[in-house]
Amino acid sequence: MLRKAMGFMVSNPLSGVVGVLALIVVVASLLSENFLNSYNLVIIARSLAFIGMITIAQSMLMILGELDLSLGAIGGFCGVIGGILMVKLGLNPWLAFALCLVIGALFGLLNGLLVTLLRLPSLVLTIGMAGVYGGLNLVITKGVAITGIPADIGFLGSGKWAGLPVPFWIMLLFLIVACFITLKTPFGRYMYAVGSNLSAARMLGIRADRVRLGVFAFAGFLAALAGMLMVARLGSAQPSIGDSWVLGPIAASVIGGVPTTGGIGTPLGAIFGAAIIGVIENVIVLLGISPYWQSMVSGAIVVIAISLDSISRRYFKRD
Amino acid sequence: MAYLHVDHVSKRFPGVKALDDIVLEIEMGRVHTLAGENGAGKSTLVKILTGTEKPSRGRVMIDGQDASSHDHLHKTIAYVPQEINLFGNMTVAENLFMPFSRSRRGGWLFKRRELERAAQTWLDRFKIAASPGDKVRHISISDQQLLQIARACTNESMKILILDEPTSSLTETEVERVFRVVRDVVASGCGVVFISHKFDEMFAISDTISVLRNGRKIETRPASQLDDRQLVSLMSGQEVKTDSRLQPEGGSGEVMLQVEGLCGKRFEDVSFALRRGEILGFAGLVGAGRSEVMQTLFGFLPARSGTVQLEGAPWRLGDTHYSIRHGLFYLSEERKYHGIFPGQSVRRNIGMALLSTTARHGVIDARRERARVGDIVRDYDIKTPTMNKNIAFLSGGNQQKAIIGRAMACDPRVLIFDEPTKGIDIRTKMEIYRLMKALAERGVGIILVSSEMDELRRCANRIITLYEGKVSGEFHIDQASGDALVGAIHGHGGGGHAA
Repeated sequence: MLRKAMGFMVSNPLSGVVGVLALIVVVASLLSENFLNSYNLVIIARSLAFIGMITIAQSMLMILGELDLSLGAIGGFCGVIGGILMVKLGLNPWLAFALCLVIGALFGLLNGLLVTLLRLPSLVLTIGMAGVYGGLNLVITKGVAITGIPADIGFLGSGKWAGLPVPFWIMLLFLIVACFITLKTPFGRYMYAVGSNLSAARMLGIRADRVRLGVFAFAGFLAALAGMLMVARLGSAQPSIGDSWVLGPIAASVIGGVPTTGGIGTPLGAIFGAAIIGVIENVIVLLGISPYWQSMVSGAIVVIAISLDSISRRYFKRD
Repeated sequence: MAYLHVDHVSKRFPGVKALDDIVLEIEMGRVHTLAGENGAGKSTLVKILTGTEKPSRGRVMIDGQDASSHDHLHKTIAYVPQEINLFGNMTVAENLFMPFSRSRRGGWLFKRRELERAAQTWLDRFKIAASPGDKVRHISISDQQLLQIARACTNESMKILILDEPTSSLTETEVERVFRVVRDVVASGCGVVFISHKFDEMFAISDTISVLRNGRKIETRPASQLDDRQLVSLMSGQEVKTDSRLQPEGGSGEVMLQVEGLCGKRFEDVSFALRRGEILGFAGLVGAGRSEVMQTLFGFLPARSGTVQLEGAPWRLGDTHYSIRHGLFYLSEERKYHGIFPGQSVRRNIGMALLSTTARHGVIDARRERARVGDIVRDYDIKTPTMNKNIAFLSGGNQQKAIIGRAMACDPRVLIFDEPTKGIDIRTKMEIYRLMKALAERGVGIILVSSEMDELRRCANRIITLYEGKVSGEFHIDQASGDALVGAIHGHGGGGHAA
């Protein structure tokens, strides 16, 4: 029994990232007595909720071997569109919310169409599209936040359920959806096939372009969801929402076992990766380290985490 | 004492003993062939000789010294891998001398003219037609193959040259070019380790043959004291029945697949008909366009023009999804690039084609998948510790069996085999031949693209030859003389249309 459990832990690709997370949590709780109090855990859960939704989206794209660097810009732009619909046009907030999710999915789909039809590398294309979405955002808002978001949707962003923030539960819901799609459906298998060997996938009659379009659209949807939840939480549509959602989710995915080359890993692993980054950033704040050091420390820890993972992979010759 | 002495070497990987107490001597000025089935341990042994893997037990003696404590000794052993491993976008000369420091032609500056002049002497010696300034991706496959060998030989300290299936993507005339080079290298005093699955080649070139089986060395003998039969039984540990004729009976059924005037990348106006119950062979030189025709028919490559009918119904080109759903399946010669999903388990690799039967209401039934994949693993005798093993770690033959099993699960009406036995041992080869025959007799249309004349003569009922993208002949197997076939392959005096 114990042997079997040990074997499972060594062979399970998630055990590394879960182990690192556990280690960091233990160290963090030793370093700061405030770390484990419920107030702080809620803060961590809330920030993980937003970055987590983008991480789920990005990790699914990365399984395909694609990237979308405009997810943050889509989130911010959809938030602003939602603000305009609700405040300036007086639309029913629920309708506006749903509309924005559709718009987000369409933005994602547009990225996917440009990648598949024009055969553009998604990395370069989405850097450009991030400029387009982000630029439109600024043109429309002139950099000024749209305030006066109806309170009806406020609890989606700042409410709590069972002690944890509502956005966190929503993120968990979509994590389950994403894991279900990737692991239990034919579509998910096609994602791995396309990411692992595009030619072989086409040779098996898998319509790679459709798979790509589907995931790009889903990623855009999740980005818009994160953006709208942030608007609901802040009570205003800030044009800067999503600015910090670009690199963290990619690093989180890599730490969680989804390489940028695609074909392996799961959204669940990526969320653990996001949790590692989230906890580290939280601890840096708790310890009162100068904000000037924060990005350097969290960057260095990302490098250390992926190095440890790579070394352990080589050492155990895990497949 | 021999230059290279493998002294009781064993190698363990987690869960497998890849090599078990190997003793081997490789001498200078001779060709030593390593024979063995897929997974016998040849590749692991080569990795140990070149120093990329360390033995778990035993040692490798090079020039009388223990190689583990004298790392530089491994540099005297040059290795040419089976796959083409060149920089396609760089010139012939650059590829030959990369990295430049090794040939002391670098210095601080890159001197193109000097480099190309030096390259020319190597090209002359190896009779490579390309010029030093050509981009490698523009030269022929056989020139690339020779260039790889030439590159290994630019290593001035080379004493032993290891060639891992250097002929697997070459046709018979091109093989002779490689052999000339091998004889030249041997004449210059170096030793050659040769790995191949083709018996005629082994006997043509080797002085000594060593047989490996399941990680053990079974036998080392002078090539002159062995014949095909003995070699087969040494390699497989049992008598393998090698039938000389494996054509399906009949083959005069109605036309299943009718191709008219198909044009595409690198071929023009190809027309042919496939009859029910026959195996239709396609012969030609590397680059004659055989794979391109088949991949276009399958929808993987775009067609410029042409019409196709399958069982009387019009056929849509350019969509692999359509092709597979309507019963046309293509098995590529490029297992690595077109076949397997590396990093995925055997189960997922095979399961990928079973999803329409293992998924219910859009959800994959894991138990069902495990059962169906288990059946295929058993039926096709795929050797893997568990079906959850990463397929990249299986031997080439077992990967091929997995790919064939996967295709068969889709119940194809027409199956195109493109070099199905490339890099595959004799026993698995025979299994594949018998499988093709059985399928054809069950009414599946079979097209066999092959560079091995022996394979085509053994299996096909009719052979179509392609030369530079055009059909150059069509032969009924009973009327195909060797000369006429070879002539048609080389574009001389078009073969008699004896359909």
